[in-house]
Amino acid sequence: MPKKVLADVVVIGGGPAGMAAALGARESGAKIVFLLERGDELGGILNQCIHAGFGVQRFGEELTGPEYAGIYKDRLASSSIEVMTSTLVCEVNRDGYVKAVNRSGIWEISARSVVMAMGCRERTRDMIRIPGTRPSGVFTAGLVQYMVNVDGLLPGKEAVILGSGDIGLIVARRLELEGVRVNAVVEIRDSLSGLVRNYVQCLLDFNIPMLFSHTVTGIRGEDRVEAVKISKVDNSWRPIKGASQWMECDCLLLSVGLIPENELTQRLGIPICPESGGPYIDEKGTTEIPHIFACGNVSSVFDLVDYVSIISERTGSAAALKNPPAPVSFILECGGGVGLVVPQRIRERGEGDIFVRPATALRDGNIRFQRGERIIYEKPISICRPSEMIRIPSRGIEWPHETGKVKIEIDGEPVQGI
Amino acid sequence: MKKRYDLIIIGGGVTGCALAWYFSHYDFEIALLEKEMDVCCGVSKANTGIFHSRSYWTPDTLKGELHLRSLSWFPRAKKELDLPVRECGALTVALSAADIGHLREVKARGRCPEAEIMGPIEARKREPNLNKNLKAAYYDPGTVVVSPFQLVCSLAECAALNGVEFHFDQHVRGFDQTSKYIRVLTPENNWEAAFVITAAGLFSSEIARYSRDKISDIRPCRGEYFVLDRDCDGFVNRVLYPAPRERSKGILVCPTPEGNVLAGPNFEPLDRFDSSTTYFGLEEVEKGAHRLTPHIPLHKNIRNFSGLRPTLPDRDFHIFFSNTYPNLLHLVGIESPGLTAAFGIAEYVGEKLHNKGLTLREKNDFRFRKAFPVFREADWKTREALIREDPDWGEIICRCEEVTVAEVKHALRTPPGASTLDGLKRRIRTTAGRCQGSFCLMSIPRLMSEIGNVPYGNMYKEGRKSPLFAGETREECSRSEYAEKGSC
Repeated sequence: MPKKVLADVVVIGGGPAGMAAALGARESGAKIVFLLERGDELGGILNQCIHAGFGVQRFGEELTGPEYAGIYKDRLASSSIEVMTSTLVCEVNRDGYVKAVNRSGIWEISARSVVMAMGCRERTRDMIRIPGTRPSGVFTAGLVQYMVNVDGLLPGKEAVILGSGDIGLIVARRLELEGVRVNAVVEIRDSLSGLVRNYVQCLLDFNIPMLFSHTVTGIRGEDRVEAVKISKVDNSWRPIKGASQWMECDCLLLSVGLIPENELTQRLGIPICPESGGPYIDEKGTTEIPHIFACGNVSSVFDLVDYVSIISERTGSAAALKNPPAPVSFILECGGGVGLVVPQRIRERGEGDIFVRPATALRDGNIRFQRGERIIYEKPISICRPSEMIRIPSRGIEWPHETGKVKIEIDGEPVQGI
Repeated sequence: MKKRYDLIIIGGGVTGCALAWYFSHYDFEIALLEKEMDVCCGVSKANTGIFHSRSYWTPDTLKGELHLRSLSWFPRAKKELDLPVRECGALTVALSAADIGHLREVKARGRCPEAEIMGPIEARKREPNLNKNLKAAYYDPGTVVVSPFQLVCSLAECAALNGVEFHFDQHVRGFDQTSKYIRVLTPENNWEAAFVITAAGLFSSEIARYSRDKISDIRPCRGEYFVLDRDCDGFVNRVLYPAPRERSKGILVCPTPEGNVLAGPNFEPLDRFDSSTTYFGLEEVEKGAHRLTPHIPLHKNIRNFSGLRPTLPDRDFHIFFSNTYPNLLHLVGIESPGLTAAFGIAEYVGEKLHNKGLTLREKNDFRFRKAFPVFREADWKTREALIREDPDWGEIICRCEEVTVAEVKHALRTPPGASTLDGLKRRIRTTAGRCQGSFCLMSIPRLMSEIGNVPYGNMYKEGRKSPLFAGETREECSRSEYAEKGSC
């Protein structure tokens, strides 16, 4: 028979979001909290991020990924939260009923609230449609990071990395340190996708060439990657005829974006926001089903884990409460220059933070929130990039009495290169 | 004393494995030699996986004859192999008035009593995502889709269960004969058998030349495909063909037994063996798929691939005894519908060998293959029972396709077992889902090492030249060691 248990809160996913949400729920009075993780230990992607740079916002000091995760693991260990690792959730239904599988059998957990914290996955070669052969040696960058840092295995001897996102940049440096030559980092945009500090510390310091406005348009090698075709692209990212060359390498690493992993959410019929790739949520992470919450990268891919922790603790707290949420007051919409905004719904004015991801890199501009004709928030920005979210405390916004749609816009001068 | 076989089959594609399975019903010593590390590594791994009904046979050809012969074998094969299939039927769609004539031809040729030509309303009732400008459709309920991977692997497993030996990494370099046995020469071994059959797909002409037999070159014809996410299941429920063109069945859209949607293939003759996908080819497939189903969610693509059809100039199968070695039979040009015709080919080859003096004595202890459970497809009660029996069923290592450690173990251990990453993919669908291995590759190398005893340095994607890893990271060293040596 399946093991049937009752819970106040079930958290799906034991990465940074899930760990913080479980603790948040417990601290806000949820008595029985389950934290379900598919991997064999908690921590999620933090476990493979052995570089420093985590925790400045949350803990005021610079930590490595495992150290940052360690703080939460310790807190969980001394809490009464039921942690189940190597446990995969197969089904969730709208009543808060969660079906999970592990070596001890099938678990049916009936919960008052469910927190979705499944994180994200990497975009693959086929999603960006790179033609060519299908040899060994084409990997997503995050997988390579795991292979190298956890399994101690190298993906190749000479690499080309597509995408200048942070994972790509950090993996480039890691490979150089292990004696794997990185021939180039190739970026289709005309500006950096990752953080400038990562560009400096990971590429410049290791003399790794960076090619802007280029992409990979072919893969050669029947068995193992032998070379990749690198093409210059025009303003609309189309390869320019005649402007391509083959670059030899034995592996191609892809750092071409992350996708919130929302298959479980979608099966519940919860609508997904096309910009963020996650469910529409309010400032507490409530989805369109009041007792189902989402936090961390499953709601939108964040740039800093610190933000994920801060938000997720709040979401966990909200999931612990029994009272139904207030009605939605405002719907936030992306206007010009805005790639995404999260949360997209505001119920209570002045609570939590709003995160805005710029669509492109801009300098000397403004970010503006508008309710109808009325500007309810405006702030100059010296520079903004898609890689860095703009964090706006909700209490700094002059929320009007009149509810409705709020449009967010960013303007400024385009930035090219770094 | 060197082992002598009654029969050696060269090539572990669908034809070779169907031959192995067919002859394993009889009292023979059989070996199958394959140059790759597994079965299903050539033409057979990259095609649409359709078991074509008689509506789509080609009259006045050997391939047409063997296609029809094969159909009567299908129920028996399905049972003996415990093969999952999707008996979905097909609609051939006329998008212009001129195409309606083609539909009538297909109908007249097939003479399927259950098939019918229907109007657009009726067709769209069955397939709401069909192009609404269609003029008519030919509905054929007899078309079946199979997984080519499952078909070939189950044929191989059933053959192995019945005594066929599988030898991998065997690159045939030539033939020789000094006694009544034909010698098959490979770099490390000489194999001897009374009868030898070659079923070498793309290399079938080349192999036929090793015995100095004259045959045209294989001309590879490339076809490219899209594989859509399983959450598109239901977008189409039948195979949708365009009205037929001369050279191929055209770019079609179809469901797979696993629940993906497949679009392709185009048809591009090449002068070399190149199974790359191309911008041009994928665009052509995209257009073709949009013609049939304008709203096909191609943005849900999880994998592009291309396959090569091993065609001869006359576009027919050529099955003939060697002029040099009388008991050597070559199978050349086994292209589409090779998958469908595989059983017919086996029966036909059996007759040919019988006429040459091979006695077919049926075994009385032939064993059927029993498919291993698939966690993804099992209901909760079955899952519960499986985990109780073996906790490995409770450890899911592939999230997209919900594959468990128990299935990995079975795939590695059931002869001729998987030894590569793609071998696992073809048997149990690890790395075949939407994340394309980003999650399961965190555990598969460890499982291959622990269960399959494969050292990390010998882990391959598919063949011996496709290692997964290039070595290990540097040794750790302490701060003091580092200060002393200046490096680690």
